[in-house]
Amino acid sequence: MLKMTHLSKAYRTEVVETYALRDFSIHVREAEFVAVTGPSGSGKTTFLTIAGLLEEFSGGEYMLDGANVRGLNDNQRSRLRNEKIGFIFQAFNLIGDLNVQDNIDVPLRYRGFNGAERKRRIQDALARVGLSARSRHYPAELSGGQQQRVAIARALAGSPRLLLADEPTGNLDTQMARGVMDLLEELHRDGATIVMVTHDPELAGRAQREVHIVDGQVVDLAAQPRLVTPQSAQAQN
Amino acid sequence: MEFQPILAAMSRNKIGAVLIGVQIAITLAILVNGLFIIQQRVALSHRATGLDEPNVFTIRNQWVGNPTNMEAKLRTDLSVLRSLPGVIDATASNSAPLSNGGSSEGVNLDPDQQQATALTAVYFMDDHALNALGVKLIAGRNFTPDEVTPKIGFDDRHPPSAIIMSKALADKVFPAGDALGKSVYLAFQKTRVPIVGIVDRLQVPWTGVDDWGSKFNDNATLEPFQFESPLVHYVVRTKPGQIVNVMKAAEKALLATDRLRILEQIQTQSESRLEAYRDDHGLVVILGIVCAALIAVTAFGIVGLTSYWVAQRRRQIGIRRALGATKNAIVRYFQTENLMIAVAGALAGVALALVVNVWMMNSFAAQRLNVAYVLVGAVLVLLLGQAAVLWPALKAASIPPALATRGSM
Amino acid sequence: MFNYYLGLAVRSLRRNVVLTVLMIAAVGVGIGASMTTLTVFRAMDADPIPQKSSQLYTVQLDNWGPKRRGLGTGDAENLQPQISYQDAMAFMHAHQGVRQSAMYLTGLALIPSNVDLKPEQVITRAAYTDFFGMFQTPFLFGGAWTGEDDENHASVVVLSRELNNKVFGGRNSVGKTLNLDGRDYRITGVLNDWNPLPKFYDLNNDKYEKSAQIYIPFTRAIDGQMASWGNYNCNGDTGPAGWEGHLRSECVWLQFWLELPTRADAERFRHYLDGYAAEQRQNGRFDWSARTRLRDVREWLVYQNAVSQEARILVLVSFSFLLVCLINAMGLMLAKIMGRSADIGVRRALGANRAAIFGQCLMEAGVIGVAGGILGLLLTALGLIGLRSLVSEGVARLTHFNLSDITIAVVLSIAATLLAGLYPTWRAAQVQPAWQLKTQ
Repeated sequence: MLKMTHLSKAYRTEVVETYALRDFSIHVREAEFVAVTGPSGSGKTTFLTIAGLLEEFSGGEYMLDGANVRGLNDNQRSRLRNEKIGFIFQAFNLIGDLNVQDNIDVPLRYRGFNGAERKRRIQDALARVGLSARSRHYPAELSGGQQQRVAIARALAGSPRLLLADEPTGNLDTQMARGVMDLLEELHRDGATIVMVTHDPELAGRAQREVHIVDGQVVDLAAQPRLVTPQSAQAQN
Repeated sequence: MEFQPILAAMSRNKIGAVLIGVQIAITLAILVNGLFIIQQRVALSHRATGLDEPNVFTIRNQWVGNPTNMEAKLRTDLSVLRSLPGVIDATASNSAPLSNGGSSEGVNLDPDQQQATALTAVYFMDDHALNALGVKLIAGRNFTPDEVTPKIGFDDRHPPSAIIMSKALADKVFPAGDALGKSVYLAFQKTRVPIVGIVDRLQVPWTGVDDWGSKFNDNATLEPFQFESPLVHYVVRTKPGQIVNVMKAAEKALLATDRLRILEQIQTQSESRLEAYRDDHGLVVILGIVCAALIAVTAFGIVGLTSYWVAQRRRQIGIRRALGATKNAIVRYFQTENLMIAVAGALAGVALALVVNVWMMNSFAAQRLNVAYVLVGAVLVLLLGQAAVLWPALKAASIPPALATRGSM
Repeated sequence: MFNYYLGLAVRSLRRNVVLTVLMIAAVGVGIGASMTTLTVFRAMDADPIPQKSSQLYTVQLDNWGPKRRGLGTGDAENLQPQISYQDAMAFMHAHQGVRQSAMYLTGLALIPSNVDLKPEQVITRAAYTDFFGMFQTPFLFGGAWTGEDDENHASVVVLSRELNNKVFGGRNSVGKTLNLDGRDYRITGVLNDWNPLPKFYDLNNDKYEKSAQIYIPFTRAIDGQMASWGNYNCNGDTGPAGWEGHLRSECVWLQFWLELPTRADAERFRHYLDGYAAEQRQNGRFDWSARTRLRDVREWLVYQNAVSQEARILVLVSFSFLLVCLINAMGLMLAKIMGRSADIGVRRALGANRAAIFGQCLMEAGVIGVAGGILGLLLTALGLIGLRSLVSEGVARLTHFNLSDITIAVVLSIAATLLAGLYPTWRAAQVQPAWQLKTQ
């Protein structure tokens, strides 16, 4: 589904060139739930921006859903983002001007679906996250957990091949966080491919597989000492 | 105040600074030229005619049919007007100041001269002219009754026996100031005409800023003619405070002597002035409104953009406050920032104002811009900028230092 | 997508009412000010007889010569705006155009049949019958007098609709008589409303004044020794006194227009004019080679500065004002759009391409443009009403809004606002798809 090989990403300033990712390789298979972890500044966010086609990379290869995305122009990448990727952000990133259903409507509009199709998908997505009753509420009227569920509904509505989540529970309290994680797991059980960036080992533990990034490279977890909690061990089964 | 960091911050927001600067520049250019034009037109429309304006009114008289014995009609009318209670004196004329219709002639020193020494408006009036107009004779004497001759319409081209001219014209033709008693040639005729009197001031009939008469606005000449034409202007001077009643009485009395006439434009000089300078007044009002609107729009623009900058830099400001910046320091920051932009804009605006002025001088023979206007205008826009920035700056100063410790917004 | 963008634009504008009102007000005030002055300017600059303006010509002749340079109303070439009686008669007799007419402004007294009523002054134009055909004056009743009437110096008259309404209550008065200065004139026709502005055929006094109330044969006016009520300029070379002397003098006081349908006709007439001037020199009238000028309506209006200085100043000022308003609106739009850059980043992440963002933001500018245009139209209407009360009667006649002015206002508003919105919109489209909300 997502395959990066020897990928590199350099940020240039006038003085120095720093590599956020270097000789970075990862392979996420269809229907996998992968957690990407690593310390601050390790490059995990850079990985996600590149995976989500939000930024270009400097070297290497990136195959998304079997297609090479290297050298695509802005329009093509916008189209791919719209069709293949669903984003779940730490800060939810709902559009405050729009109510719940209009937020979910945003990617569907850019997809070019007709009205009936959009309506159906919005209803399905809302039902999926259990917020059908809130379709006309504005983000400001919802709790953090509800907002994140709306964001997940928005990510799901276009039936993307890949869900990318960035600290999806980072702005939530424990109870709400649990609800969101339950939802992600449920989506995974239903066959979604999910890549989640987090620095929370507990969350990482609920993924199928964990990829650890240090200094812009994937580190073999076996070589690293790791605190395995009973929960995460259980989840890996 | 630290200019360096402000400049650095501005360079990250170039376009916003440029937008405000350009607005200030154009505002200044319009304001300076607009106020200059307003001042000129106000001055223009208040120019004195030289007449006893509050007490003088005019009547335009048109005889109906093909009148015969116009001389007798004229004499009757004048004696009727002069005998009305409250009237100081009255005269008949081809035209009057502020009437925007009249005659002009060239004044020459040499009968064979090709180019006129000066141009003058001519008023054909009898020996009652000085008293009826209320103009001030400053040298020489009035016409004598003997000097007044009949002039049968414009086609009667016999020269006047004497003239009284305005001081401006006398000084133009005789710069040494010794015009009185000298002679001139009028309208390229070969007859010498003596100057018997000089009046302090007498305006031409035309008032437009770019009219034919604007080139010799103060050059006027009285010629001692009894103007016998189907169309004459009566000029009547009344005792103070009686003008309204006399005007009514005059119309009635004239119609009583002869109904076969049309009396029009029975109006005081003040009314004639209003009418004559109506478009100038209109221009002044409209320019005034546009200048006021311009100031408002620019001020709102500065408020809007600065508010946006404040909103954008809320966190930064919070951090500054947390690091010990006082409220005053924050206000000063935005004021200094605005001052720097406004100064740059004002400099460009001064240049633009001068360019516009040169363009207007070329295309409408406008006058050169007074430097005082430019300076006053520049100070005005700087103050405008400071006033407009105050509200957003105060809002910025009220951002709590605690903001720095919170994550975002 | 149009409707979607429209909905988003309205929603976004409603969100920040103060900013939106400021932007719309800025655009509206700017449009209002500039359209008010532009309307007057356009009226001053209008082609008063568009269907024929390139076929109607007026004549100038340097009959004063170089020694009288700078006198009277002459231009830099010493050409006077009007011509003398003898030249006008020569051109009439030469009969070089399809139609031609010498003409001048005068005034007569209308003497009512009811002796209790006061006589009334009527503004009169003395002209030849061709005046009506040449200028295509619309007739309500009857028509022009005949060429024979011209030759016979007949006492005939054409009335304006306004005067016909006043004297005859609007009824067909053709064949009736009108007593003018004691003489009965037979009415041959009544014009429908006809007020070309600027009054191109005689710009000497008020350029925007109403057309005459009555028209009489030029030959009759000369017979009646009716003095010109317009400009009358003499160079001092006095002839004999009296009316005869007046007619024989070099005084210029007549307008002369003729119809020359093709360029070739105009060339031919220019040739004729030069020949005429040369002839005058030969027979001793001029001791200089007299320049001649033939100008069509548009050239004549430009030459005579039909657009007043006030109008030019106001158009300049108000369009600069509009520019300031637009820069202002641009700044506010920029502020607004950059304030929403986070939302734009999210949309980009969700698959909006640059064109989509561009369209969305431009729609917002467009909505402001439409709203500003409507506000501008209202302000223009108010401005013209205000103007009418401020300016002289002639200029007030130019303060009427027509359909093309309305179109210009709306198009100008939208185009200007879109132009002003272009940079902010372009900036919006440059916003990178957001992964995280970056504060500052």
